[in-house]
Amino acid sequence: MAIPERIHRNIDTRYWNPGAEYFPVKNRYTAGVAGQRFFEELKENGKLFGTKCSKCSVTFVPARLFCERCFARLEEWVDVGLEGVLYSFTHVYRTKSDEEKENPSIVGAVRIADGLLMHHLGECNEKDLYIGMPVKAELKPVGEREGKITDIAYFKPL
Amino acid sequence: MRKVAIVGAGLTKFVRRALETPKELSFEATSTALDSCGLKLEDIDCVAHGSAPDAFDGIHQKGEYLADGCGGWNKPTMRVFVGGATGVHAIIHGWHHVASGMFDTCLVVCEEKMSSAMPHAQGFFLTIFDAITERALHPNLLWIFALEMNRYMSRYGYTKEDMALAAVNNKRNGQLHPSSQFKDEVTVEDVLNSEIMAYPVSRLDVSPVSDGAAAVVLAAEPVARRLTDKPVWIEGVGWTLDTAYWGTRDLYYPRYLDKAARMAYEMAGIREPAKQINIAEPYDPFDYKALHHMEGLQLSPRGKTVELLRDGHFARDGNLPMCPSGGLLGVGNPIAAAGTMKVAELFWQLRGEAGERQVPGNPRLGVAQAWGDLMQVSSVVVAGI
Ligand SMILES: [Zn+2]
Repeated sequence: MAIPERIHRNIDTRYWNPGAEYFPVKNRYTAGVAGQRFFEELKENGKLFGTKCSKCSVTFVPARLFCERCFARLEEWVDVGLEGVLYSFTHVYRTKSDEEKENPSIVGAVRIADGLLMHHLGECNEKDLYIGMPVKAELKPVGEREGKITDIAYFKPL
Repeated sequence: MRKVAIVGAGLTKFVRRALETPKELSFEATSTALDSCGLKLEDIDCVAHGSAPDAFDGIHQKGEYLADGCGGWNKPTMRVFVGGATGVHAIIHGWHHVASGMFDTCLVVCEEKMSSAMPHAQGFFLTIFDAITERALHPNLLWIFALEMNRYMSRYGYTKEDMALAAVNNKRNGQLHPSSQFKDEVTVEDVLNSEIMAYPVSRLDVSPVSDGAAAVVLAAEPVARRLTDKPVWIEGVGWTLDTAYWGTRDLYYPRYLDKAARMAYEMAGIREPAKQINIAEPYDPFDYKALHHMEGLQLSPRGKTVELLRDGHFARDGNLPMCPSGGLLGVGNPIAAAGTMKVAELFWQLRGEAGERQVPGNPRLGVAQAWGDLMQVSSVVVAGI
C-alpha cells in the first residue's frame, strides 16, 4: 500500500527540520528608472505622476518606462492629481495567517487616469462606501515620507 | 520544418547592480533587438521568454511578470527555464515556434537580475540539493564545481595555471565587448592569486554576479530574406538531460553535452565539428567549464584541450576562437541572458558586425552552448551564414 497510515496531525509525519537559519536569503528590489522618479515626486512634492502614451491614449499610473501595447518609450510625465474613483473594495476580516483581525480593515482599488492603485481606505464608514465613489489620497506629512507607496497613508472619501 | 533565421539582436549592458527593474531591463534589450532589424512590436507574432529560477529576481511567476517587458502583451507568450541552460534553450524554444509553421516571427528574450538577492544569490541554490541526503550538510553550489574541477584537472594532469589560461582568454576577449561589466585586464597571476573559495576554485576562476537582458528576433525564411541580406540560419539544435543525481554524472566529461552536441551537428549536417565549426561559444561560468565544454562539444580531443589553448588554437585569431564574446567570464553572467548573449555573438560574428572583437577569416559556422538545471542539462545551437 502506498500510504500505510493515515496521519491526522502534520507534526506526526516524520520529517527533517532544517532550522530557521536554513534559507538565509532575502530579496531587495529597485523601483526602476520610472519608479525612482515616481517615488521621488511622491516623497518630495507630494504628487502622483503617470506616463502617457499618446499613440495608445493611455496614461499609466504609477508611471512606467514603456508602453506595453506599442513598446514606445514613455517620456510624457503627467501630474494626475491625488483624486480618483473607487473601482472596487473589500472588507478584510482575517489575516494572511488565518487569524481574526482585531480591527477589520478596508482595502480599495482606486482608479486614477488609466491606472489602478490598491490601497487602504480610511476616514470612512464601511456602510457609506460604494463603487464609483470619489476618493482622495491622504499623504503622510513631508517629514514622514520615505519614497514608498505607503507615503500615501490611505485614500478617503472626497 | 521551415528554415529559421536570426535577423536581429540586442543586449543591455551587463552590470553588477541595475537600477532598472527586470521588466525595464527586458524592454531595453527587446527594443534594441527590434530596432536592429527595423521591426516594430506589431510585426512580432509570438514571444519565447526565458529566465532561470524565479528566486533570482525575487518574483514568483516571473515569466508572467516579465511578459510586458519582453513584448508579450496580448501575444502568444511562453516561458522556458532550465536554469543556466535557459539562454540557449529559449532560442530552441523560439525556433520551434517558427520552424513548426505556427508563427513567422518570434522574439526570444532572456533576463536575470541577480543583484536582488541578499546577501548572495548562492543561498537560493540550497534547495536544489537533495533534501534528505545533502541539505543537512549546508552545501554551497561551489562545492559541486570544486569537486568537478578537481576531478577534471586530476584526470588529465592539468594545473590551476592551465585553467587560469582559459579565464584570461575569455576575459581578454570580453574587454572589447560593449556590454561587458569589466574594464581591467586580468593576468594568469591575478587568477592564481585571487582568494580560494572552495579549492581548486578561486574567485577569478568564476564568472561574476550580474544583471542584464538579451533578446534576438527569429524569422521564417521568406520573412528573413525580406528583412536582411545576411540572415543567420539556425542550422541545428540539440538538448539533453543527464541523470538528475549530480553525483552519478561523469565529473570529468560532460556527457550531458555530448549527446546534445551530436544532435545539433547531425541536424546541421556537420560530420567533423572540430574542422567545420569556425567559432565556439561554450558555456563558461568557470574557466575549467569552458575547456570541459569544448570537449563535450567535440571541438577538442579529451585531455588535449589545454595543449591547444596554450598553442593559441582557441585565441581570437586562432583556428577555432573560443568565446570571442568574452563569455560569462568576460562579459558577465546574468544567468539566462548570458546564454542568449552567446547566440547574439554568433549573429554578430557571422555577419562580420562584431567590431573590435571580430574574428578574422569570415567565419561561416558557429556553435553556442549553455548548461544548467541540476548541472545536468545542456542546450546547443549551431548557426551559420
Ligand atoms: Zn502605446
